[in-house]
Amino acid sequence: MWLVFKKELLELLRDRKTLFFMIALPLLLFPLIFGAFGFFASKAVKEAETKVLKYAIVGGEYAKGLSDSLAAASDKFELVEVGADADFKQLIRDESIDFALKVPSNYDQPLLEGGQATLVLVLNDAGLNMVQSRVKELVDSQVENKRRQAFDALALNDFQQTGLLKPVVIEKEDVADSRENWGEKIGGFLPYILFLLCLQGAMYPATDMGAGEKERGTLETLLISPTERHKLVLGKFLTIAFAGVTCALMTILSMAVWGIVLSQGMAIKVVGEFMSAISALDFVLMFLMLAPIAAIFAALLLSLSIYARSFKEAQSYMGSLIMVAILPIVMAMMPGVDLKGGWAWVPITNVALAIKELIKGTMDYVSLFAIFGSTVMIAGALIAFCVYWFNQEKVLFR
Amino acid sequence: MIEIKGLAKKFVVENVKKLSEQEKQDPRLKGRFFHSVEDVSFHCEQGQVLGLLGPNGAGKTTTLRMLSTAIKPTAGSVSINGVDILAEPLVARRKIGFLSGSTGLYGRLTGRENIEYFGRLHGVSEAELKQRINELADLLDMHSFLDRRSESFSTGMKQKTSIARAVIHQPEVVILDEPTTGLDIMATQTVLDFIRRLKTQGTPVIFSTHHLDEVDELCDKVTVIDKGRTCFDGSLLDFKGLSSGSMHESFLTTIKGAE
Repeated sequence: MWLVFKKELLELLRDRKTLFFMIALPLLLFPLIFGAFGFFASKAVKEAETKVLKYAIVGGEYAKGLSDSLAAASDKFELVEVGADADFKQLIRDESIDFALKVPSNYDQPLLEGGQATLVLVLNDAGLNMVQSRVKELVDSQVENKRRQAFDALALNDFQQTGLLKPVVIEKEDVADSRENWGEKIGGFLPYILFLLCLQGAMYPATDMGAGEKERGTLETLLISPTERHKLVLGKFLTIAFAGVTCALMTILSMAVWGIVLSQGMAIKVVGEFMSAISALDFVLMFLMLAPIAAIFAALLLSLSIYARSFKEAQSYMGSLIMVAILPIVMAMMPGVDLKGGWAWVPITNVALAIKELIKGTMDYVSLFAIFGSTVMIAGALIAFCVYWFNQEKVLFR
Repeated sequence: MIEIKGLAKKFVVENVKKLSEQEKQDPRLKGRFFHSVEDVSFHCEQGQVLGLLGPNGAGKTTTLRMLSTAIKPTAGSVSINGVDILAEPLVARRKIGFLSGSTGLYGRLTGRENIEYFGRLHGVSEAELKQRINELADLLDMHSFLDRRSESFSTGMKQKTSIARAVIHQPEVVILDEPTTGLDIMATQTVLDFIRRLKTQGTPVIFSTHHLDEVDELCDKVTVIDKGRTCFDGSLLDFKGLSSGSMHESFLTTIKGAE
């Protein structure tokens, strides 16, 4: 069995295409994607912050303070003169202006006399922009003034003022620690990528070791070697499962490492805290949960691969398998699906949920045993089927 | 020596409607079963070369696959030097060297690694393996390409490597299924020389072919199979004696005689 494993692994390692997909891609692609995303996002935000915004104003005479502060910030805002009946929608579409303000006549009146003033901001709010926040910044100081005027007129003390502004404040005391919080967020996502990468990484070697052997004409020679059939199957099976797990772990590792590298500074503390909250035991348990999943995938893939007449046929079978496999994984990501109900009995879904619970630190370890046990049993049954399948003449010589 | 008696193999036909007209008319199709091989018997002594002849679809490959233990016969017996290969396939496999025209190699392994892998699967010790590969490389003139990846091999190189792979464990019987089909003249010659060498060593060889000149050149015995049954089993001289010297006519006579 180890002889077959060693040889298959050697062959796998010599295959540049597989290596590329298994190792190079996750190692380089993810940081590249993250890096590029971060770079362009921060660049876009910076641009939106510093861009000089062209504006038009109607009823500027009602808002002396606002008009003045807009005019004063000439490095941020630029006034465009337009007619009283101008079509702002068209002007914004033509990019002649970035936004327009319609000031009501009661804007500068004291609050107690004029009541609430509605300042209309006309803009194209699709896509990234910071128009509203930048305008609000200017308006805020006038709002503060108006409030103060009103409070003075009513002769209210500080205590009353604070109460009036926010009569009731809701203060949240979260019993979930940061680990549970973060766990809920990334815990659903992690098994999803883990499982899919595992399947993806196992797929190519599986195709190669079943259908590939048939296509190259090496299968018959292998079958008539004096080695028990189950040893051949286990050797191949181990290689496939190993490739799947390696691919998944490499990717996760690279994501973690690059994530830390790229999010230097403040974020690193959060990540570090989060990571250190998860005990080594939990990590080992997560890995142990992944192992039977990899075994299930490997056994399924190998069975499909050996049934297929050719590489092409095997690939189309595996395409359908991904569609089937993705379903229980996505189920685990849906809100409201947790280990309490019947979901604990759905294979694959329950493992994804268990990994999520492990990350959150809210795992009930007794049910973990049940899930692990049942998954191992399914994996074992599938491997047994694989061995049976390898003994069927109608499968081998189709 | 190798002895085959009353060998038979039937396959389940999944969907009779899918078969071609010709296949439906084949007398071997009985209900849900297709009796690919119905009754094949022959034997091959030490140092003899047996040529297995027959039209396409006669059951040659099925017969040889049964001999090589790749598939199990429905009935009959096969014994190699007294060992029943059906009862003890793992023991028997050590005694058999098998090669077909469509045999491939693992492209990403070198020639040497390909041979070593099968040697190890056959339980050949490391020291012996090294020595055997050296001998075979001398014999087949393989030193120049032995340590290169086999995906870049020419047909001749591939066939030499396949031959070395098939006999690395020093089998007691060598079975070849159309070993020259699809090969160029040089590669064919390599195979024929190899059969000749086995013969001088006293190893019995059974090979199927469509080339009667190869049979004439190498064989001591001829067995003709048609529609899953042995219709001739005798010496090369007897086979030639069936007609006025032409191998082709002899072949056609045996087929007609069966009908």
